[in-house]
Amino acid sequence: MRSARLAPRAGLLAVGAVIALLVVLPIFRLAYVVWTEGSASLDEVIGRPSLGDSIVNTVLLSVAVTVVAVPVGTLVALGLRRADVPGRRWWRFAMLLPVLVPQYVLGYSWTQAYARAGFTDTVLGVPWPSVHGPWGVWAVLVVNTVPLTYLLAAVGLATRAEPNLDRAARASGARPGSVLRNVTLPLLRPSIAAASVLSFVLTLESFAIPQVMGTPAGFTTVTTTIYRDLSLGSDPISFVEALALALLLVVLTVIVVVPADLWLGPRLRVTRVAAPEGAPIVTPPGATGRWIATGLGGYLLLGVVLPMVALVSAAITPAVGVSPTPSNWTLDNFRFVLNARNVEALGRSAVLAVTAAALLTVLGGAVAVLERQRSGRAMASLVTVTLVLPGSTLAVALLMTYGRWLGGTLTLILLAYLAKLWAFAHRPISGALDRLPAGELQAARASGANSLTAVRTVALRPLAPALLGAWLVCFVTALHEVTMSSLLYGPDGETLAVVVLNSGELGRIGATAALSVLLTLVMLVPAVLLWMLIRWLGSPRRLSDPRVRSLAHAR
Amino acid sequence: MPADAPSPDVVAVRDLTVAYDGAIAVDGVSLRVRRGEMLALLGPSGSGKSTLLHTVAGFRPPTTGEVWLNGRRVATSRQAEPPERRDVAVVFQSYALWPHLSALDTVAYPIRRSGSGRRAAREEALEILDRLRIAHLANRRPAELSGGEQQRVGLARALARRASLYLFDEPTAHLDTHVRGVFLDELVVRREVSGAGGLYATHDAEEALGLADRVALLNAGRLVQLGTPQQVYAEPVDVWAARLTGPASVVNGVVVDARSDRCSVAVQGHVVTVGRPPAARVGDTVPLLVRPGWAQFGGSLRGRLRVVRFRGPHSDHLVETPTGEVLIREPGPPRHAVGAAVTWTLTRSWPLEAVRQQHRVARQSLAKQPT
Repeated sequence: MRSARLAPRAGLLAVGAVIALLVVLPIFRLAYVVWTEGSASLDEVIGRPSLGDSIVNTVLLSVAVTVVAVPVGTLVALGLRRADVPGRRWWRFAMLLPVLVPQYVLGYSWTQAYARAGFTDTVLGVPWPSVHGPWGVWAVLVVNTVPLTYLLAAVGLATRAEPNLDRAARASGARPGSVLRNVTLPLLRPSIAAASVLSFVLTLESFAIPQVMGTPAGFTTVTTTIYRDLSLGSDPISFVEALALALLLVVLTVIVVVPADLWLGPRLRVTRVAAPEGAPIVTPPGATGRWIATGLGGYLLLGVVLPMVALVSAAITPAVGVSPTPSNWTLDNFRFVLNARNVEALGRSAVLAVTAAALLTVLGGAVAVLERQRSGRAMASLVTVTLVLPGSTLAVALLMTYGRWLGGTLTLILLAYLAKLWAFAHRPISGALDRLPAGELQAARASGANSLTAVRTVALRPLAPALLGAWLVCFVTALHEVTMSSLLYGPDGETLAVVVLNSGELGRIGATAALSVLLTLVMLVPAVLLWMLIRWLGSPRRLSDPRVRSLAHAR
Repeated sequence: MPADAPSPDVVAVRDLTVAYDGAIAVDGVSLRVRRGEMLALLGPSGSGKSTLLHTVAGFRPPTTGEVWLNGRRVATSRQAEPPERRDVAVVFQSYALWPHLSALDTVAYPIRRSGSGRRAAREEALEILDRLRIAHLANRRPAELSGGEQQRVGLARALARRASLYLFDEPTAHLDTHVRGVFLDELVVRREVSGAGGLYATHDAEEALGLADRVALLNAGRLVQLGTPQQVYAEPVDVWAARLTGPASVVNGVVVDARSDRCSVAVQGHVVTVGRPPAARVGDTVPLLVRPGWAQFGGSLRGRLRVVRFRGPHSDHLVETPTGEVLIREPGPPRHAVGAAVTWTLTRSWPLEAVRQQHRVARQSLAKQPT
């Protein structure tokens, strides 16, 4: 009896300690260092013109991305709810594709596609020079954010806007526009608000895209300034500036997230989940559905497909300006980048990602289980906060706290991944636990299973897709993570993503393109395989026994 | 519009087939709802009654066939008028109340859409809520209402639409008697003024028989029988229909005399006269339907009492006979003990058509005895 009560308490203490060491202590340490070290030179730091610029740029960029990405994502979700869109199922999947392209690669591929001497310039003679600079950064961030806002809106539609609610309005005499205004959008309001907050915060902390597209044009953000100060700057003022900016990022995030979470928290909690297929009104196939499909196709073509084609084309042509025709194709760039040093980096990335994903699945599962007790709830909230904790801040804070012992080691990067991605693993597992009907475990116990057997036979199977999904999300994110890795890596300790970033900064176009293709493939192949496995696990089992099947047919 | 347009029934469905997700949900159904009539669609889950209702409402287009409302063709496979332009009101399964609107605004919604101002719509909505005796709940949202109260708000919203056709998509709980009374009164008024009709989908036979002027039995998307409640209860077309519409015992008889209008059937050698079953010839074995009140104790047929259940006003006795099991319902407490040898007579019976291939479900449930 006593041990049964002690075990969860010990678990709670252990997990709480890990959170304190990974997140709470470093953030306080950062604040403390800024307070003590910075007091002398803070005036000087605030006086630097680059500081104000980067802050204004960051906030404007976050607003601009949110203002476009949220309506676009919501419209796409509403459009894909219509049954008359040809290939609806396929588009639902395709809209999420941009997420599978690492941010750095997406940004770099846009410069290859649209910049002067890029793909459209060479092939069509139509360049878009401002792809380097704020407009390009904004456009790519929108493309990168829309899958997320779309997903949140689609989930909101499936869970909150039950098809019958729309039907009831139509049968009451309301036209489609009026239903959208009076019923669907009010029901979606919490989801839209959540999407806006997430979009704002993720843009705030985005690093790879502003770095690859903004920095060459002199467009700085808070994250790129932190990177510049820490990796290039050698004076103490730059150092204090980086710390102050890291702290500022977390303050900005808290200002946005905390009120939003207080308002949204109770409103986003839903229990019923409807079929995502549910189109309220099915109409005979018409022009509107085809227009929607065409629009989505055009968006994906310009946003992802063309840039990826340009990237591959840059990877297999020997030099800039050489036309990308088959006679000029070569694998020289790949041969060049597949040197011992880069292969080592690839190995480091893979080991880091696999280890981080495995540990995170355990940690995320632990919090998901512990939050079911009253005392574990605060811990779960804390873990959720790490979701929006800017990577740059976390990296700087960890460097401040543990750099003396772990500086430049893979362990420090691993710790950063664990802190940053904990919520990524916690969320899907917690969601799956929520959907597990309470009676099922009790029914197993009442049928004669002990607690372990009950979990193994009844709970593990429905939880398997969530556990694998959590692992996959952490693996993929860790593999292409560059914000924290680029601040934390030591000599001879680069990860593959850092290699790509550095190669891009050296201006080696062919090599960078080849590395980007490699990075995407390394990420995509396991992702697709595992995703298929998850789909297979999640699909309802067919009745396999022929006798059972014949009975089922007779019914 | 063709010259042979059907007479302006409230609804006319012609050869309607609706297929989606690779399955045929409604399979070649034709039926009409006359002015002022309530037609119940009775069938088990998956029989296509909801899909049929949704197609009439305009939530889904026909795959083939046509839907006519008030003499106007509103849907074919190529063109379907949207729901807001069809003159229909829908009561939904689990009511589909908008979580962000109060009861008052919910009921005012259809009135607003028909062009009334906010004040006028709210006044009218309050009047409807008052008629359903829930005016005091006007400012509550669905989350603050009980299931029965939600049902009344859902009904009030449908009434507020002032439609010529009311569609009921399996309201999950029975309509409670008061609400049903108010609603049927309302329908009677509408019938006199504009000839409103209703289409009521349910899997509950008692509800369908008690509520409707006519009942349509649906199985696997097909129309099995269409008739008055008395007809489908007393003269079902086959065993499946008999079991769907109420407690049913089946005994086997042999045709001894078949004339044009009626025939005689021998049960355990005793001849009873029944309406003529289609295509029965002398010597055929026909299944005979026996409803609980159609057999009584005493007489010349023999059997053994297998199960006895006291049910308050009456008692049910399940009698095992050489030709099948018969449920005998008699007023008062049980007459005999289990295992007793009893005699009984048939006061009434109805010959059923031989079970057709499509009703395999019915054949399986034949094996189960009624309790």
